[in-house]
Amino acid sequence: MIRIISIRGLIFGLLLLAPACLSAAERRPFSVLVLDQSDLRGPFYYQLSAGLRGVLGGNADARVTVYGENLDLTRFGGATYTESLKLHLQEKYRDRPIGVIVAIGAGTLEHTLRWRQELWPGTPIVFAMLDETDFAKLGRPPDVTGVVMRIPFAGAMKAARAVVPGLDTVALVGDDWDRQVLFSHWDEEIPAAAAGLKVIDLVGQKMADVRKRVAELPEHSAIIYSAMFSDGEGTFYPPSTALGMIAEKANRPIVVGAEPLLPAGGIGGYVLLPSEIGSDAARLAMRILAGERTEDVAPVTREAKPLFNWHQMQRWGVSESSLPEGSQVHLREPTFLERYRWQSLAVFAALFIQAGLIAFLLHERHLRHDAEAESPNRMSELAHVNRQATAGELSSSIAHELNQPLGSILANAETAELILKSADPDLDEVREILADIKRDDQRAGEVIRRLRGYLTRAPFETKDIDLNQILGETFEFLSVQASTRNVALYLQTVPGDIRIKGDPVQLQQVILNLVVNSMDAMAAIPYGRTVIGRVELNGGSTAEISISDSGPGIPPDKLAQVFDPFFTTKDQGMGIGLSIARTIILAHKGRIWAENQSGGGAAFHFVLPLAA
Amino acid sequence: MPGRIHVVDDDDSFRTAMERRLKLAGYEVATYPSAQQLLDCLPDENEPGCILLDVRIPGLSGPELQGRLNELGSTLPIVFLTGHADTPTTVRTIKAGAEDFLTKPVESAQLLEAIERALARHVMARSERGKLDEMRALVAALTPRERQVFDLVVRGRLNKQIAHELGTTERTIKAHRHQVMEKMNVQSLAELVRLAERLGVLGTGNNLSGRSP
Repeated sequence: MIRIISIRGLIFGLLLLAPACLSAAERRPFSVLVLDQSDLRGPFYYQLSAGLRGVLGGNADARVTVYGENLDLTRFGGATYTESLKLHLQEKYRDRPIGVIVAIGAGTLEHTLRWRQELWPGTPIVFAMLDETDFAKLGRPPDVTGVVMRIPFAGAMKAARAVVPGLDTVALVGDDWDRQVLFSHWDEEIPAAAAGLKVIDLVGQKMADVRKRVAELPEHSAIIYSAMFSDGEGTFYPPSTALGMIAEKANRPIVVGAEPLLPAGGIGGYVLLPSEIGSDAARLAMRILAGERTEDVAPVTREAKPLFNWHQMQRWGVSESSLPEGSQVHLREPTFLERYRWQSLAVFAALFIQAGLIAFLLHERHLRHDAEAESPNRMSELAHVNRQATAGELSSSIAHELNQPLGSILANAETAELILKSADPDLDEVREILADIKRDDQRAGEVIRRLRGYLTRAPFETKDIDLNQILGETFEFLSVQASTRNVALYLQTVPGDIRIKGDPVQLQQVILNLVVNSMDAMAAIPYGRTVIGRVELNGGSTAEISISDSGPGIPPDKLAQVFDPFFTTKDQGMGIGLSIARTIILAHKGRIWAENQSGGGAAFHFVLPLAA
Repeated sequence: MPGRIHVVDDDDSFRTAMERRLKLAGYEVATYPSAQQLLDCLPDENEPGCILLDVRIPGLSGPELQGRLNELGSTLPIVFLTGHADTPTTVRTIKAGAEDFLTKPVESAQLLEAIERALARHVMARSERGKLDEMRALVAALTPRERQVFDLVVRGRLNKQIAHELGTTERTIKAHRHQVMEKMNVQSLAELVRLAERLGVLGTGNNLSGRSP
């Protein structure tokens, strides 16, 4: 068993040594002897020496020779052991001048101060890891400076209250206080800091017992872990390893005092950062090596910092906002975005581009939808223009259709007049005449109504219509025109109704355009001008209408173009009639084509679906 | 002038209206809904009459009926009545001998005037035709030799030339010529030539059956 020598016992001796200290004015050898006291396996000492070496080895211009010795005071102790250490060091460094001794830990400092007179008279000592209470007890021996730590138990309590709301119990876990390197002063601070709380004191107990006890702590409790160096049954290990074993069983969060204990399972607390302490100590040593007087190199104080373990916070459901002000959270699991930054950026970029593309396509779709919605209107307008253009063609038909009833009306009216003028008017006949006049008037009105229907601009509308009737009316309409142009017009319909869904005016227009087109095509032939309209039913699904003529036919190389807008072979044609016809047929879900008949002349066909 | 008016129109209403009006004006009226019906039942040419004909009738059209009647030698004048008068049709029908070409609606005064003219012309045509028939009968009564002499005389040949052409003496021709004048009931050569002209002997050579249009 080791006995850590009480600092208190040292003070008197140090005071006696002080006047014998050497002046630091002379040039010092550029070498540092690092003495530490602890188990080299632990992360605490590893980090501390890393900080130390980082600064000492960082000066490339003036290479410092660093010697290191481990006194292993946590596992070995006693006068014989320390004496043998002294002898070992004395022999080992007899011919090696030492510029500065860095003493890590209170025990090391104590030994070093004792040995200095004999082994390294006048050599400055830079201590590290000396608690402020120990430092206060030390006073300020000559040629001694170093890094003082401030890690009060109150800090541990503050952290415990932060991580456990409504804290009412603390369990203290660690080796006996007098064996602690960093936390021995807590022993005295506990009563004040933990006042009002129930304290479960597991200090100095065996690991097996501790593991059992920490598994069954009450709800509003926290564990405060100082450091354990052994299981109490002969096995030694670094405090972080011991903490790992405890954390494995603990049912409550564990508040710790040193940063290297965080990964081992501590939730955090006000902790010391060994690498900072190491580099602080090294900087002080470098200043002395550089020639500063040790008296001028004031000790620096390192406060414990509030530092917490993100994993443990998650485990115990501690939110960041409940931590003390200025707290840092370490071991934070990188979020998905942090871990896969570039991949995420790429995915987001892809999504963004995709979204943009989708938005663009939706916009396009919207525009197309609008255009589609608009196109029947456009077609209707164009069809209307075309109908107005063909109105001239129809003027003779219209005149004839109107004059027929008007002729009857005039004759009847004059007859009635004469009858009424006679001495004995036959009123029955007058009544008959008036009835006829009325009927003929209605006939004339009907002609006007049909004409208006044909020439009015109306939106595309589908109705149930009889194709036979549409054809018959249109051919009737065109018969006057045909006789004027000396064209024989024949229509072959099929018996019964041909029910289709469509816009009657526009379908009439298609037939009219085709027939007028045929009549125009035959204008140059001297005789035998014939236009034949024919209806055929293709099964029960479609009706085919063909308009054939006895004209010169269509040049074979133009067959495909006849329906193109503005394609015309006529001097005064706009080339719009057949194009309109096709547009209308397509709007009726039909198709239209042109061909030359084997016996001469052109034939236009269109097929329309029958109404179900 | 009384007469029988033949109304050919596919429009029932118009036929009825015409019938009423014309009957009121004192005419006899026969109506036909189609051209074919008139052809099937040809009107009596011997009573004064005329045809009121629509241009546009389903089946046989008005102008087509006109052609057929001309072929049949009808003397009935035709007055066309149409809802729409286009120039080609008008010219065609007038050239084919139509009495008039009227557009519906037509006022009674205009219509009756046209009918009166048509009836008068029918009477004239009929009497002309009677005279011609008489003259044709006289020509038919000539002997072949007398007919030969007649043809040559009306063409202005001298007796000597005719005798030479027919291979006989001038005296014989003189006797034939006297016979012809006697048989044809004319006093002078000028009268004979005029008669020949009316019969169409001059224009068509020996053909005496030519119809006067």
